[in-house]
Amino acid sequence: MTSRNISEIAEAMRIALLRVDPALSRFDPLPRIISLDDFSRGHCGWSQLVGNYEDHLDTMLPGYAQHSSAMLSTLGHWEAGSHGGMDSSYALKIATRPKPGAQNVAIKRHTFRKRGPIRFEAYFTFKPEANELKLSETDVRSVGFLFDLQGGDQDADAQRVMPHLRFLNASDGKHWQKWQYKRETTTFKAVGPEDKTLSHYHLSPDGWLDLPNGEQRLCYNEIPTKVNWSYLRFDFDLETMKATGFQCNDRNFDLSGFDSIRIPAMKNLWCMLNFCLFAETDVAKRAFLYVDSICISGDF
Amino acid sequence: MLPENITAVIARNERWTGEAACEPYEAGWAREAVFFVRAINPPIGPAPMAWVEISPDGMRWIREGAEFRMPSERDGIACARIAHFGNWLRVATKFEDGAECTVLVTLHLKA
Repeated sequence: MTSRNISEIAEAMRIALLRVDPALSRFDPLPRIISLDDFSRGHCGWSQLVGNYEDHLDTMLPGYAQHSSAMLSTLGHWEAGSHGGMDSSYALKIATRPKPGAQNVAIKRHTFRKRGPIRFEAYFTFKPEANELKLSETDVRSVGFLFDLQGGDQDADAQRVMPHLRFLNASDGKHWQKWQYKRETTTFKAVGPEDKTLSHYHLSPDGWLDLPNGEQRLCYNEIPTKVNWSYLRFDFDLETMKATGFQCNDRNFDLSGFDSIRIPAMKNLWCMLNFCLFAETDVAKRAFLYVDSICISGDF
Repeated sequence: MLPENITAVIARNERWTGEAACEPYEAGWAREAVFFVRAINPPIGPAPMAWVEISPDGMRWIREGAEFRMPSERDGIACARIAHFGNWLRVATKFEDGAECTVLVTLHLKA
């Protein structure tokens, strides 16, 4: 038996084992699973993205000051009760405040041990707060995700790289339903007198670009309290610091026109491997991003 | 397996005046909850009573019964313990005209 045959058999066995595991069967993880979060075991390390500050919290940029802690939710609705998740009662819930343009972000912070392929998979859905007896399909502005990455301290090409993708659902009442990405952040500002801590709000409403052929009509059920879970997969190569794949439900998107926010490496973020999820409301109503489960995997 | 618990920051450096409340928080998985309200800056004016509210849907609120006085000095901390609350929780208060408090509201939940 050749080494190629052995490796093909090993891969077939790996896939077979994944397929019979109810927790993993709906994912397509790379060979090593970094984390598998189903939110029936707590928040699984998804905390709030707190902004940088020095001396007083007043120094925090306003974009970050609005953030608050994510919740574990059964998607309880006033007229239908708990919706529940896909495989447990609970989902992670990221809720904005009821103010046009308000955002909230949850983050998971890791570092990596090898610059190679990583894969982020999730089942998600979104809805506005159901405080009107209307469809409300244009109330959520966007939901999305980003990675915050930096090369190792010995890497000559180390940069801070932040791939961003959002589903622009609507703005100013127009139902856009398209994926967008971002290449530029805002200017870095020192947040205190010691000039040790910098901050930049990379989720500002400016600078979003349409992903080519990125229009997608997701399942948005007929009243604000009916939800359907959607699948999302984003592949990124930490070696080349380039995105290699993006899928949402039945659509695979061409990323040849995609790029990330790229900024010089920072002095204290080596091997950073952060994942963020965010929600943004377009109107004076809370927007909710629910995440049933997340599988983060890598080839290392 | 150890029981779940979490510290959630519900309001951070928020200046409360008039009728004020923190954002709703879902905590149906928890059997007990403790709210802490800390004054980040020196409060101005009389420190009013605050109270815990519960809700059937996260949108309509009624008082749960627990009450506490808002902190009256910088870094003063008030708290409320709750053990029977369904799913939704928040704290609310009402300041006299001209009174205010900049708060850090944390919620500590245990399964």
